[in-house]
Amino acid sequence: MAAVERDVFAYSYDQHDFDNGLRLITVPTAYPQVVSLYIVVQAGSRNEVEEGRTGFAHFFEHMMFRGTPEFPPERYEAVLQETGASSNAYTDDDRTVYHTTLTKEDFERVLAMEADRFRNLDYPLEAFRTEALAVLGEYNKDSAEPVNKLMEVLRDTAFDRHTYKHTTMGFLRDIELMPRMYDYSRTFFDRFYRPEYTTLVVVGDVDAGQVRAQVERHWGEWRRGAYTCNVPAEPPQTGPRQAHIPWQTHTLPYLMVAHRSTAYSDGAADCAVLDLISFLGFSENSPLYERLVIEEQTVDLLWASNADHVDPYLFTVLARVKEDADVPAVQQAILETLEGFTRQPVEADRLEDVKSHLRYRFALGLNHSEAIASTLAHYVSLRRTPETVNRLYRLYEKMTPEDVLRVAGTYFTESGRTVVTLAGASK
Amino acid sequence: MNVIARPDPSPLVTFRLVWRTGAAQDPPGQGGAAWMTAMMLASGGSRGLSYKQILDLFFPMGVSVACQTDKEMIAFSAEVHRDHFLRFYDVFRGMLLDPGWREDDFERLIDDAVNFLEVGLRGQNDEELAKEVLYQEIFSGHPYQRHSAGSVESLRGLRVEDLRRFYFDQFTGENLTIGLAGGFPPGFDELLRSDFALLPSRNPPSQPSPAVRNLDENELILVEKPARGVAISLGFPIGVRRGHPDFPALLLAASALGQHRMSSGRLFTRMRQLRGLNYGDYAYVEYFPGGMFTLEPGQNLVRENEIFQLWIRPVERQQAHFALRLALHELENLVCGGLTPEEFDRTRSFLSKYVNLLLKTKVDELGYAIDSAYYGIPSYPEYVRVGMSALTLESVNAAIRRHLRSDRLAIVMVGREMAELRDAILTDAVSPMTYNSPKPDEILEEDKLVERRRIPLRAERAKVLPVDEVFAREA
Repeated sequence: MAAVERDVFAYSYDQHDFDNGLRLITVPTAYPQVVSLYIVVQAGSRNEVEEGRTGFAHFFEHMMFRGTPEFPPERYEAVLQETGASSNAYTDDDRTVYHTTLTKEDFERVLAMEADRFRNLDYPLEAFRTEALAVLGEYNKDSAEPVNKLMEVLRDTAFDRHTYKHTTMGFLRDIELMPRMYDYSRTFFDRFYRPEYTTLVVVGDVDAGQVRAQVERHWGEWRRGAYTCNVPAEPPQTGPRQAHIPWQTHTLPYLMVAHRSTAYSDGAADCAVLDLISFLGFSENSPLYERLVIEEQTVDLLWASNADHVDPYLFTVLARVKEDADVPAVQQAILETLEGFTRQPVEADRLEDVKSHLRYRFALGLNHSEAIASTLAHYVSLRRTPETVNRLYRLYEKMTPEDVLRVAGTYFTESGRTVVTLAGASK
Repeated sequence: MNVIARPDPSPLVTFRLVWRTGAAQDPPGQGGAAWMTAMMLASGGSRGLSYKQILDLFFPMGVSVACQTDKEMIAFSAEVHRDHFLRFYDVFRGMLLDPGWREDDFERLIDDAVNFLEVGLRGQNDEELAKEVLYQEIFSGHPYQRHSAGSVESLRGLRVEDLRRFYFDQFTGENLTIGLAGGFPPGFDELLRSDFALLPSRNPPSQPSPAVRNLDENELILVEKPARGVAISLGFPIGVRRGHPDFPALLLAASALGQHRMSSGRLFTRMRQLRGLNYGDYAYVEYFPGGMFTLEPGQNLVRENEIFQLWIRPVERQQAHFALRLALHELENLVCGGLTPEEFDRTRSFLSKYVNLLLKTKVDELGYAIDSAYYGIPSYPEYVRVGMSALTLESVNAAIRRHLRSDRLAIVMVGREMAELRDAILTDAVSPMTYNSPKPDEILEEDKLVERRRIPLRAERAKVLPVDEVFAREA
């Protein structure tokens, strides 16, 4: 099969390490005129190790827009506006990503301005306190969505010590105290906004040699830091856990069934196999989806995820059930599906279909420069090189029904399970 | 039938098929007919294949068919690797030309549509709810009043036969545009043309389209539901859309006031950046659904009638009255004072360049081309660039005065304790603002004006609506 032999990430790229520890990955593409710059900081809510600091990495992402002596916020915004740039940022468990897409003629101007804020960020206490309110506004806007609450409770229930216990948004009690944490925000910047934590991903109508020289010019003086973040290890789970969330407005009931999983790896099989199982068991063409969503029509949403994480996280199945009374039966069906993988090998054809699905879905997703940069940002925050994508997909190709049987037996145990349900007020 | 074919050496083939019909053509009492017909095509089986069989065939290709139903257009799009191109097309053609109309698909998709309204919009997305209620209010008495998915009652009243009739009447060859891009083989566009020539060649019947009503005074709709914050949308109809001589000027004005999801606009700066009132504040001259999920505008959302709109993201309940007043204050400043020369220059530069980023994918490119044909304008980037270059500060400020206003608005707020909020607005109660940090005198002085700003409103034009009544039935 020719497709199997091809690397899924087939673009040529230039990967370069500067003396200060900063890494640059440049991917020239044939999409004309446009350049995407993704600045990936390998710090997210996983790095919030101190008590009472949940949500801080995300809050800090907001502060990065609060200016430097040379580029106060209004000047920073004026440059972005003049250049017609589309710019934003996001934070999740393992990363904070600042991204800008613009026409190539303005690339160096924006690259230089970004270097300035990563080195010289400086904001007054008033701006810090005001921004803390915008973060609370963000929590408020997200609070009507039950899945956000489910994730919050699932993590809090499933983890005891690791920082994955909290979501990226953080606990409300900590968000409300953020205005008081100005000094800590300076510490956070000093620790993590350093070249050794940072990778620049540049994708588009560029010349790799030129980009290297531009980055050297503007980012070369940035000084390496010395902080190592010691994230507490999570002890093994020793028994099943559960939680229930009463929801104050009308909703269909939700069910989340999670098992302790493993860390992202492009070399060890377990993570790749769990990815494959999430599709084998719960994707649109799975037998369970066919039964619950298409035939019985008791469920209207069903998905599973073995989300990539730096440290061991969770394999999660989510179902939205149409009637409260059906929740126990749906839970039973999900558990039986998972247990099925531990008892008998999957059909080889089904496994090959999943591999094909992943490979083509990946290829179809890389259809413009920004999509390529955004995809790489995810992987680069895990392994700091695009090569990890090809290693991961080669790993998928090697996996057999026996691998599925072994890995399912390792992870889908009752003692590693957490179940969270949510049910609403009636109409 | 129109075919837009844009071949290139890409390994991907892109389809975007758009029928010039939509929810505005729902027959009386059958709200949701267009939406459900499109769903039956995209997420039901064809006559030859069940939905399950289609999912099984598409899965190894990594392909899915996206479907969007709006007032004037219904769009189906898909992108497939050329490795599977012919097998995909064979299935896709059957879905669109020979639908299965199975009862079990229909029941599943009706449930989905009802849950979209009852659980998704009413329950879980207060911001989109406020926007959709705003459209409902502004287009009262017009076919645009109805949500494109209809109402719970009208959906429950539909039958498969109604959808077959809608399909037969409205999905004709005359109102179809086929967009095709990427690495398809030579002559494939002609094959498509002949395949889709199976559709009846006639213009579909059209529902009457009355004039949009005049808003002659402020109207307030308060949707009561338990919520941490209060979501706000406000606006009014405008007689300007793409192709109108003043469209570029209003596009620039809205961008300067609040470019979608950017931190550059006046509203964002003054409400969020300086005061920390919420997560963001934006302005629009075109329909823009799902703004919380996307940074860029969608396509094939063309409208005969557009509205000017502000989106104020959820604010704390106790600051809701103040936030509304501040939004109106900023709108009034724009209408009365216009833009500054610096704002004009920066925003014009922004839009002239930013427009190049909007056509990222082939699906987007085809969508924009189809929209430009609808409006009778050149390619969208060219239209915006040329339009921007012809503008002056004076012409933009004159267009603002001609078309925008800070009175005779429809205002929608979604949150808790709405009766109290209504009373506070009706009695012009002072809404003092306090901060967690010192503010410049300029802000504090402005707040003193804003906290007492009168919002002219008659009691009979201020209503509180329980959330369960929204989208329950057709007006």
